[in-house]
Amino acid sequence: MPWDAATSAEFMGKPEAIEKGRESYLLVCSGCHGATGEGGRGPNLITGRNIRRATDADLFESIQNGIPGSDMPPSPLPDEQIWQIAAFVRNLSAPALEQNVPGDPDAGRAVYYGAAGCNNCHMIRGEGGFLGPDLSNAGIKGNFNSIREGVLEPNKRFSPGFRPVVVTLADGTTVKGSAKNNSNYSLQVIENSGKLHLLPKQKIREANFQEASWMPADYSQRLSEDEVRDLLAFLSRQAVGGAPSKP
Amino acid sequence: MAYRILLSLLIVGGSLCGQVRYEDILEAPSHDWLTFMGDYSANRHSPLGEITTDNVADLVPKWTYHVSSARRLTSYPIVHDGLMYVTNSNEVYALDARSGRLVWSYRQEDVENDRQNRGAAILGDRVFFVTTDCRLVALNRLNGAVIFAEEYADPDDGYHCTAAPVAIKDRLIVGVSGGDSGMRGFLEARSPEDGSQVWKLWTVPAKGEPGADSWGPKTLDWGGAATWMPGSYDPELNWLFWPTGNPWPDFYGGDRPGDNLYSDSLIAVDLDTGELQWYFQFTPHDVWDWDAQEPLVLLELELDGKKRQVVVQANRNGFYYILDRKTGEFLHASPFVDKLTWAEGIDENGRPILVPGMEPTFEGKEVCPTVRGAANWMSDSYNPDTGLFYVMTLEACDIYTASAKEPEPMIGFAGTGGERPPGAGGQFVLRALRPETGERVWEYPLTGPTTAWAGTLSTAGGVIFFGDDDNHLAAVDARDGKHLWHYNLGQPVYASPVTFEADGKQYVTIVSQTDVFTFGLFEPAVSVPQVDTGRKP
Repeated sequence: MPWDAATSAEFMGKPEAIEKGRESYLLVCSGCHGATGEGGRGPNLITGRNIRRATDADLFESIQNGIPGSDMPPSPLPDEQIWQIAAFVRNLSAPALEQNVPGDPDAGRAVYYGAAGCNNCHMIRGEGGFLGPDLSNAGIKGNFNSIREGVLEPNKRFSPGFRPVVVTLADGTTVKGSAKNNSNYSLQVIENSGKLHLLPKQKIREANFQEASWMPADYSQRLSEDEVRDLLAFLSRQAVGGAPSKP
Repeated sequence: MAYRILLSLLIVGGSLCGQVRYEDILEAPSHDWLTFMGDYSANRHSPLGEITTDNVADLVPKWTYHVSSARRLTSYPIVHDGLMYVTNSNEVYALDARSGRLVWSYRQEDVENDRQNRGAAILGDRVFFVTTDCRLVALNRLNGAVIFAEEYADPDDGYHCTAAPVAIKDRLIVGVSGGDSGMRGFLEARSPEDGSQVWKLWTVPAKGEPGADSWGPKTLDWGGAATWMPGSYDPELNWLFWPTGNPWPDFYGGDRPGDNLYSDSLIAVDLDTGELQWYFQFTPHDVWDWDAQEPLVLLELELDGKKRQVVVQANRNGFYYILDRKTGEFLHASPFVDKLTWAEGIDENGRPILVPGMEPTFEGKEVCPTVRGAANWMSDSYNPDTGLFYVMTLEACDIYTASAKEPEPMIGFAGTGGERPPGAGGQFVLRALRPETGERVWEYPLTGPTTAWAGTLSTAGGVIFFGDDDNHLAAVDARDGKHLWHYNLGQPVYASPVTFEADGKQYVTIVSQTDVFTFGLFEPAVSVPQVDTGRKP
């Protein structure tokens, strides 16, 4: 069953094919690529640029024929099973909206606005705080893995334009917020209230960029496993259309 | 949360949290540039006077912002409280207007094609723009967070969208493009709260409606009359004055006998209800693609000893028109270019006196002006101190060809088109007209290849800024067109300049092909101290 558009369409993005592919992946591929595709002896299948750029045909052929010059061996699996694995691998880096993330999104909404208090710092459809990235399109912008990482490991990386900063102005007042941009000559900071400061450096006495995110890093302790699961399910389905704001 | 337009405008030493009210836009332009044309009258005259004819020679570049994804920027920036909003195809950029540093950007990722975008609108705490595939998008103006993205036209029906929305009271006025390939034009008012439709006015009537008999059966459903440029608004009448585009197919009229209403027209529309009040058609049964998408400028002129509220337009067809704003009465038309061969003049009813044999032919017929027109969508301006009206005009002709091929919509068929005769370049001429008569008071000819789409900006300092077709932003004296200053942007200009004030200083911004340039008066550099960031090496 070599590649053609019709065959791709039969497997790619199809939940049943993805699930069967997951089962095969765990048996055949996870030893090198990790149980969730995070990598190991083999590359990361979620964030790896080559993987994300690969065409459906590339994925199929890499699995079937291996990659000469690397440790990736050819596979004796039948075509249909290879297609299912390819569908699973493709899904690892697909937008969360397409990944059918498990959990109860309605319960997740309650967590978002309740126990987790996400709306204190984030917006969805214009409602919420200004300190964190807009989550209106979390389901389009990120995949499941990136959303999960954003919730549970906020200090792993800062989204551009959301580096936490505490600024002491020349008159002694303090501004605490997210740095939208910074140079030797100016700094643009937004407070959680939405007050935006466009500051030439002459007006600043000190600007302390924080190492830790304003976001709590202990949601895995604050929230139960079910709450985390449902919150991720809720966020993965957020899609107004387009990308959230970024500098 | 119900969306409410708040009344307070708070500026605290470089911090921003102000809401933009309809009343602010009504009083514009002031230190801000709050709507596409500067204000609802489309006069494009700024009261800022720090930059004058005496000191404009000291204008220097202050900053440049490069839009890396741009292929051709055509955006007129909006500026409010030191934050500038510039659009690209399916994107919005919010820049610190003093430094040009990016504060946030937004991209509509799930759009299949890119076309130009002419700008945004601002109201309350939101900034609005349209995507290529005709979604009206609302963003929080301080952080770019998306609030809604509402489709108002279906690309599968031949539409795409490029116009800047116009925010008036509790309405956003949006239009559609696609008239060169067949679609049915309309104008809509949408809610700034949730993007829902308030009213819709078709610019091509349906079968049986008034004006439908001015079309043929083959083309009525796809007649065009697009609304791809913003119009003007009279708050006393509460009416919009909106331009419409060409009928389709553009260059062959055999399948659309009649005047083809309401193509190539000015339509006066009630803001609240969307009801048509009156219309005036500039080019009935157009076969030269002469959209009426030029600015509709609201003026008070003294005509025959009487002050009259009028709307004027330097139309693509080469005639300058004056119409009564309340009644639509035709008051005056005169040519504003020399190269004009399709009509001898305009009769007392406002209809062209056609010169026989000037329609496109299968073999090709030279007609003036060109398809681009004697004027086009680039901005005109009016200076109340000089009393002059400033227009970027084009002196050129095209060879127009037509095809009687069965019109098929949405495949790019326009009934063929026009192209410059070999060796005939044409010339842009910046002209100052006496608006009461259309008399040409002075001229400033340009020397470039006529590929620009840059218009004019008038300021209280007596300076007319404009983009030329040689990659410059330039300035001339509003009184006599004397050159005062220019700057080589290094790339073509497809937009018109705007001006604003920040920290008490006046700036002029123009968007060129891929970059945003801002200029201000020279000041010696001040040493910027290093700021302790708490970072360790």
